[in-house]
Amino acid sequence: MRNSFLKILVLALIIAILGVLSIYSSTFQKEGAWQDIHLRQMLWLAIGLACFFAMANFNYRKLWDANYFIYGVALFFLLLVFGLGIIRLGAQRWLKFAWFNFQPSEFAKLAIIIFLARYFSRKSVNDISLSSGKFGIFRGIILPFIFVAIPMFLIIEQPDLGSGLMLMLVFVCLLYLTNVRLRYIFTLLVTLILPLPFLWHFLHDYQKQRLLVFLNPNIDPLGAGYTIIQSRIAIGSGGFWGRGWLSGTQSQLYFLPESHTDFIFATFSEQWGFLGSCLLILMYYLIIRQGFIIAQRTQDAFGRLLAYGISLLLALQVFINIAMNMGLAPVVGLPLPLMSYGGSSVLVTFIALGILVNIDRTRNVF
Amino acid sequence: MERKNILNLMVILFFSILLLGLFRLDILQGAKFRKQSDSNCIRLIAQFGARGDILDRNGEVIVDSKISYDVMILPQELSHVDQVISRVSRILGYSVNELKTAFKKNYISNSVPVTVATNIDLKKAIMLGEYKVEEPSVIVQPKPLRHYPYGSLAAHTIGYVNQIDRWRLTKLEDYGYKTKDIVGFGGVEEKYDYYLRQEEGGLSVEVNHRGKFMRVLGFQAPVNGKDVQLTLDLRIQKIVEESLNNKNGSVVMMNPQNGEILALASYPNFNPSVFVNNRTSLISGLFNNPDAPLINRAISSSYPPASVFKLIVSIAALELKKINTSTNYLCQGSTMVGARRFSCWDVHGTEDIFQAIAHSCDVFFYKVGLLVGPQNIHDYAQRLGFGKNVGFELPYETAGFIPSPLWRKLNKFKSWYDGDTANLTIGQGDCLVTPLQATNMTAVFANGGYLLNPYIVKSVGGLDFSAKKKKFTALNLKKNTLAVILKGMRRVVTDSNGTANILSTLPVAVAGKTGTAQVSGKINHGWFVGFFPFEKPKYVICVFLEHGGSGHAAVAVTKQIIEAMSQQKLI
Repeated sequence: MRNSFLKILVLALIIAILGVLSIYSSTFQKEGAWQDIHLRQMLWLAIGLACFFAMANFNYRKLWDANYFIYGVALFFLLLVFGLGIIRLGAQRWLKFAWFNFQPSEFAKLAIIIFLARYFSRKSVNDISLSSGKFGIFRGIILPFIFVAIPMFLIIEQPDLGSGLMLMLVFVCLLYLTNVRLRYIFTLLVTLILPLPFLWHFLHDYQKQRLLVFLNPNIDPLGAGYTIIQSRIAIGSGGFWGRGWLSGTQSQLYFLPESHTDFIFATFSEQWGFLGSCLLILMYYLIIRQGFIIAQRTQDAFGRLLAYGISLLLALQVFINIAMNMGLAPVVGLPLPLMSYGGSSVLVTFIALGILVNIDRTRNVF
Repeated sequence: MERKNILNLMVILFFSILLLGLFRLDILQGAKFRKQSDSNCIRLIAQFGARGDILDRNGEVIVDSKISYDVMILPQELSHVDQVISRVSRILGYSVNELKTAFKKNYISNSVPVTVATNIDLKKAIMLGEYKVEEPSVIVQPKPLRHYPYGSLAAHTIGYVNQIDRWRLTKLEDYGYKTKDIVGFGGVEEKYDYYLRQEEGGLSVEVNHRGKFMRVLGFQAPVNGKDVQLTLDLRIQKIVEESLNNKNGSVVMMNPQNGEILALASYPNFNPSVFVNNRTSLISGLFNNPDAPLINRAISSSYPPASVFKLIVSIAALELKKINTSTNYLCQGSTMVGARRFSCWDVHGTEDIFQAIAHSCDVFFYKVGLLVGPQNIHDYAQRLGFGKNVGFELPYETAGFIPSPLWRKLNKFKSWYDGDTANLTIGQGDCLVTPLQATNMTAVFANGGYLLNPYIVKSVGGLDFSAKKKKFTALNLKKNTLAVILKGMRRVVTDSNGTANILSTLPVAVAGKTGTAQVSGKINHGWFVGFFPFEKPKYVICVFLEHGGSGHAAVAVTKQIIEAMSQQKLI
């Protein structure tokens, strides 16, 4: 029982420390405020660890009761971003608190998962079977979709297409794991995919360009395609062994933009090579597998869905981020959980992992 | 299968895709990306070595390199550049606009230094060097340029330097030549380019994404080219070119004992420095000039040898015992060969071989030539080095031509007639020789019967080649033959009616032979070949004047040369 706690803690810590090392290496040559950025990340790491321990000892069942509140808070913050959010890199994604910036969309991802887990694990009044099996298309698909769509719309409007689509992906995956009929899920997918060509017109220019550039980065090598080209060069030039920590010209000489946030995998891969990158991906996979194992051995439907949701969130973010680093996915503003610089992401990821551990710990209570 | 298992498999599948993608980037394409990564951040800043000097036999510099300075600006931050340019313009005394135009014209990218001014002098370069301390984006690049202290002197021997052309590049690519390399064209510059050329060195530096200099990765010092020492004597070369005095033609002087070329002049000539400064109008003028100033007339063009060829006929006749010293022919101004009348340039009366050489009597040689026969004349001409390359070091040597009955049959489908033999004996018709071949032939008489291998490069990079270059081919001529012809050649000068009688007033004893080549429709060419001092020959000389009138004009030039040489005590 304590086993999963230790495994997840150790793996997450190793990844986070590698993240700090990579952040340090990608910024230590920059002047001024950049130099202590790894210290800030370490601070976030400490806070994140505290949250992890706190959540590990916090009965996750209480989230069941609080889920509307959590959902409401997430919506509130997202709305607040519209009004007060600070603009950075052309997007309004952050809320400024005393000395840090908070990114509500990170928090919203977790809130949606808690909300959906509860929604689909309600039991019917008559017997103790899950009511989701008997859901019709309205209660099985449309209603939860509306609950997901509101924050998703707010996030996409920030604009942050990546995080918004992430919610939708998590939603679809969770639907798949509930007892909702496959027919309904297919119906949802079809209705989501069919209007995509029309949605093209609603995309921002930079989003269209990113998608085009994803198809062929060389159409605009110095503009939108620049990042993806430099990122591929960084990863590829690492070779098998990598170029060593603090060396590697792509990240050290700033050819790679966003080398400490969204493209930290490229920074890491340039320095640690094929070997290090494979180990990193393996570690991520082990955490996710641990999450799946926890989900499978949990009797409680809410806990099981929550565990699946958290693992899937992690898996999707890791996959999409690394794939976009390698040019296998379009560039969207998604951080690499645990590694990328950013307090919100670190904090939310550790809270999610804490919940995961707690699910395993209290699974036998019911 | 249960839904959760399918999902689990999906996750494994997707993570495997990541690993495969990583494998492709790192292992399969790793080398390519490594190269791209290097080209992102490594810049080369070239530094030039100096091309080797060309020296004369006494170590006097004929061509060297002079350091000029180029000013370059590394445009790291463009907003900053205007300020730098205005400072540089104040130091150089150039107008700001001028520098800005140059900057705009030469700008390539942020990380490549832009040349804004070239060929500034040392004092300004030092002043800029002081400014560089506070403004490191200013680069003062020393660049050695070819420098010709004597202008056009010995221009054909030296050649010129210019940017490599496509033809040479395809030929020389394998030897490490690159586009935009400066290479030699013509003369020693071309032939010895591989030794003369410098090796480029330079800095390899690391730059960041803005092209800002980060650190020096490596430095390779440029290597200067090797010096080439010629056998030319600069003093004689100067005398020769002054005496030629802007007449079209060529003068070659050689040491008859070893084949060293002491002077080699060709006119019209050119000033090689126009190619250094790339003065396009002057260069195209050189190429379009109908007198072809870039052609080295001493080796690259051939002319009818005229009466100079009579020496060949004399050797053949004496060696084959067709005549002896008592053979006499009567010259009445002309003679019949077959059905055609062949005239002499004068009426000489009864002539023996000595007089015939001295007076250059055509009738005597028509008759001797018919006795010897065209094939023998052709063979002896070849033995004395006509009709084939001398094997000289300078490029673009032509072989000249000596006709023979067989050649005529094969190529012209015509028979050889006695009239053709008569034409050949006086060096007219199809017969063509270069001034260098004529010089080399004359040396045979000066050194007692050895055909030499003329050479002009004494040493390269301090390594003396002359021992290897010296090559004698014994012609095994009879002593008597040589003695007769030498006596005849001496009488060309001493005889009061000798064709080069004006040389008899010189303080040195000269022997030689004149020639006047008839050119249909144009003024005749003038030849003089000879050697001096007669008793112990140190110099062979060949003066050729293209459309210079007659052999007499060539003798006059020879006289000037020898006078000046004896004045400067060079003999």
